[in-house]
Amino acid sequence: MSAIASLFRNDYDSDGFRTCSVTGLDVHRSVENHVKLFGLTAVIALAFGGIFAFTVAMTRWEFIGFLDPGSYYTHLSLHAWNLLIFWMVFMEIAILYVGGPMVLGRTLPLRRLATAGWVIMALGAVGVNASILLTEAPNEAPLLTAYVPLPVSPWFYGTAIVFLLGTTIAALPFFATIWLETRGTRRTLPLVAFGAFITGIIAVEAILGGIAAFAYAFAWRIDLIASVDPGIYRQLYWIIGHGSQQINLLAMITVWYFLTHVVGGAVVVSEKISRTAFVFYLFFINLGAAHHLLVDPGVSAGWRIWNTSYAFYGAAFASMIHAFAIPAGIEAGRRRRGQGGGLFGWLTSAPWGNPVFAATVFSIILFGFLGGITGVVMGQMQVNMTWHNTFAAVGHFHATVVLGTTLAFMGLVFFVIKTMFRRDFVSETLAAAVPYAYAGAMSIVTLMMMYAGILYGVPRRTAEVVRNIPGSEFSFAAAIPIFMIFGLFAVVAIASGALFILVSVGSLLFGDRLPGGDDGGLLPEGGLHADGGQPIHAVELRGTFTLCLVFLAVFIAIYVLNWYLVTQLWAIGA
Amino acid sequence: MSDPLKDPDDDWWNSPVNRRESIWLGLAGAWSVGIFAWMAGFTQFGDQNPIGTTYDVDPDRYQERVAEYKEAAEETEDGLVPPGDDVYIGALRFNWDGLPVVLEAGHEYDIHLGAYDVQHGFSVRPEENLNKQINLQVFPGSEWVIPMTFDEPGTYHVVCNEFCGQGHRTMHGRFTVVEG
Ligand SMILES: [Cu+2]
Repeated sequence: MSAIASLFRNDYDSDGFRTCSVTGLDVHRSVENHVKLFGLTAVIALAFGGIFAFTVAMTRWEFIGFLDPGSYYTHLSLHAWNLLIFWMVFMEIAILYVGGPMVLGRTLPLRRLATAGWVIMALGAVGVNASILLTEAPNEAPLLTAYVPLPVSPWFYGTAIVFLLGTTIAALPFFATIWLETRGTRRTLPLVAFGAFITGIIAVEAILGGIAAFAYAFAWRIDLIASVDPGIYRQLYWIIGHGSQQINLLAMITVWYFLTHVVGGAVVVSEKISRTAFVFYLFFINLGAAHHLLVDPGVSAGWRIWNTSYAFYGAAFASMIHAFAIPAGIEAGRRRRGQGGGLFGWLTSAPWGNPVFAATVFSIILFGFLGGITGVVMGQMQVNMTWHNTFAAVGHFHATVVLGTTLAFMGLVFFVIKTMFRRDFVSETLAAAVPYAYAGAMSIVTLMMMYAGILYGVPRRTAEVVRNIPGSEFSFAAAIPIFMIFGLFAVVAIASGALFILVSVGSLLFGDRLPGGDDGGLLPEGGLHADGGQPIHAVELRGTFTLCLVFLAVFIAIYVLNWYLVTQLWAIGA
Repeated sequence: MSDPLKDPDDDWWNSPVNRRESIWLGLAGAWSVGIFAWMAGFTQFGDQNPIGTTYDVDPDRYQERVAEYKEAAEETEDGLVPPGDDVYIGALRFNWDGLPVVLEAGHEYDIHLGAYDVQHGFSVRPEENLNKQINLQVFPGSEWVIPMTFDEPGTYHVVCNEFCGQGHRTMHGRFTVVEG
């Protein structure tokens, strides 16, 4: 108990504040302790969900064939809910508290509400896990979607609603902070707080959709209403089903701006453009969810084209803006201090041994190349026919939420261990190895998922189809080599994830306490604010520009390739 | 000031933008508009569009329709030969009612998709080229009519790619496409 209590202890002044030796922010005890509480809970969910990553991957790798189909769907549901929802959402509340009161140097308002939110979220999370584990026939495992009219336990819908309500309550202190800060002034929020604010608004939209979807299904399961419409449920469900992943995206981008600055010395190259990109997200990103409905009956072509294309590209455009702005921030920041010339000297001389920096930069690159491009490509109405519900779709979202969000959040957890828990890593070497091993192995895993789906047509959500489809002479055996590579690298990726947990928890329990004022080796060379050099808009950004041109070329190549595959099909539809 | 943790300067809206960032905005914007135009245009000039007509239908009524269709179809060893241009398929746990079916290459059929119980996924590919595959969602309560013309003879396999219950992976059907 005292070990846990000591995690929440720091040297605060009589007002409860201390100055962070890395960010220079004035941090209040109330904010810091809640960030730790939500962050620790998130890591527990990550560890728990990670166990099921192992069992699920080793089942899909039919060479091992670990679970029988019945347990497989239970494990898949636990994997999805703990990693896609609980790990991420607990982290996101922590990020809201960092992006709000911590960046603004305030105390946390409505503290009781914050704690109550945590309690309700935790109850909901435990409830969802229990309802999945206790599923009995005729009920089926919910997976992430719980599509009606598949019979799913009403306890599942009920506890999911409890979790969503808890999340709403936990977000209120953040909104109160922003309101207190901006009321009656003409103040412009710092970029990180602005990003967190947009994240918060998108989160509220998503949560309202989720409560509507699950309440609708719950009412049907407890016989309040006689029937449910699968199409209406899907429209409601995807407001949160995809919306929750948009929260991840915005939180991740906010973390990118934060961490590239504090560990890489990045600057903001244009406040106007970065903020405009966030506003684009506000208006357009939730419409991206419509790409799940592209091959549904009963949705008009005009509806699909408008939502997933014209409007959604408002969000894709915003992502392309950040794709330039964030590396450009690093390039400008480092060039201004004379750290590395030439085309990529600013990048090669960056602190790659710092796991916070490496995790952040890998997250940026892999999210863009693997997650972002595939998201836009599969979001085209015709290409979607070839991606929908195949293993390729699973590859896409592992590229976005694992290589992108989880990797960025891992960097943030390492950052919090040093700056808020004030602990040294138990092993700098192991900590430095985590982002390399995890990003490397997961990249191969996601690529194999995409190949298995697109090139071999392997469906998602099946326990076995590659060696054996019971009752059929047909199988997807051609994909066996792909699955061999998938399985081996899944083992490496999961082991790297376990290493992350070991280093994090080990550092919290056994890491040396950092002396006051020590930056734990996180600060970039030359400190956080190395002034001088040219004005930002005049700094040469040719390295970033080159990288972005490479990105666009890959984007075009993948786009053309996918369309080529579509046009090879037999004639379908009007 | 150019620090994401501090308030920006008063004139941040009017600060000059780096030339290369402006060029990138142009490229990214043009690409976004370009792929929109291609996708929308393909519905006019392309042959692969998941567009058809949907009717609301009671699942039991749809099941009757499939039964009537099966009654009218000719039964052969390779499957049903549809009586006309319409092909009815009913998804149920864990079977494709109406499959296997024998179709002629080069002939346009109206494929009717519906479900009797829960949501299913209609996923089709030729046996010898798995990367030519399509995937459509099937609902109870909807009858989705999608025209299709198979241009090459061969065996096409149909699996369910939406989780519809534990036996979901066994849900398999077949199209046999013969020379027209
Ligand atoms: Cu099915």
